[in-house]
Amino acid sequence: MHTQPHSDSLPAQFSIIHSKGTLDWAYATFILASSAAVMDKRVELFFSFYGLQCLLKDTRGLKVSPLGRPDMIIRSPHGPDWFKRIDWNRALPGMVWTLPGMATLVTHGFKKQMARQGQMPIAELRALCLELGVKMTACQMTVDLFGFEADDFIDGIEFAGAPTYFVHTPENQSLFI
Amino acid sequence: MECLDLTGLACPMPLIKLKKYLAETAGQSRPFLVSVSDRGALKDIPAFCLQKGLACQLVSDNVPIQFQIHG
Repeated sequence: MHTQPHSDSLPAQFSIIHSKGTLDWAYATFILASSAAVMDKRVELFFSFYGLQCLLKDTRGLKVSPLGRPDMIIRSPHGPDWFKRIDWNRALPGMVWTLPGMATLVTHGFKKQMARQGQMPIAELRALCLELGVKMTACQMTVDLFGFEADDFIDGIEFAGAPTYFVHTPENQSLFI
Repeated sequence: MECLDLTGLACPMPLIKLKKYLAETAGQSRPFLVSVSDRGALKDIPAFCLQKGLACQLVSDNVPIQFQIHG
């Protein structure tokens, strides 16, 4: 278990508190973080509650499901162009998404769509963020709350509470996802 | 002229690859071309070059979008 605070004492210039454990929002945060890092900003990500899923070695828990998500846009990665333009979350009644296997099917489609867009798999994008110097901290309180072990998480991250996050983060430009 | 092909990559990968390329070729001041298909790069690459103090000229704004960059 890492217990030391970040060795470099310069505060971050951009930070995100990430609370969501779904694949789509994991992409949003890691894309923003890598973009900020490439523009020479010091970036700090603080993962709390379900956002901890984004730091697990096993990323299979990161899925997308349209159930209870009227905001989601679901396109088919396969088929002719007119078919790929259909937003299935609008076209189908919500109860369709309660059928067994739907989360797996939609997650598969989402991954295909991201790959086609030129995005890398989430574990690779996360590794790239670390390589670019993005600092990642798992909220110790929620790690304990959900019964995770330090070994469940990838290397290169820190474990600390929100007070440490506030010490390391800027006075402006923090996001909550 | 050397051309860095970054087509097929989505934001922010073109900039990450461009930054790596600049680090690898540090010290050389030859102009080079960059090709991208990510339409956001039309604004992002000049913004990145502005921050880095690089001269950046749009060569083609149709995909593949092309810039000439000079250190």
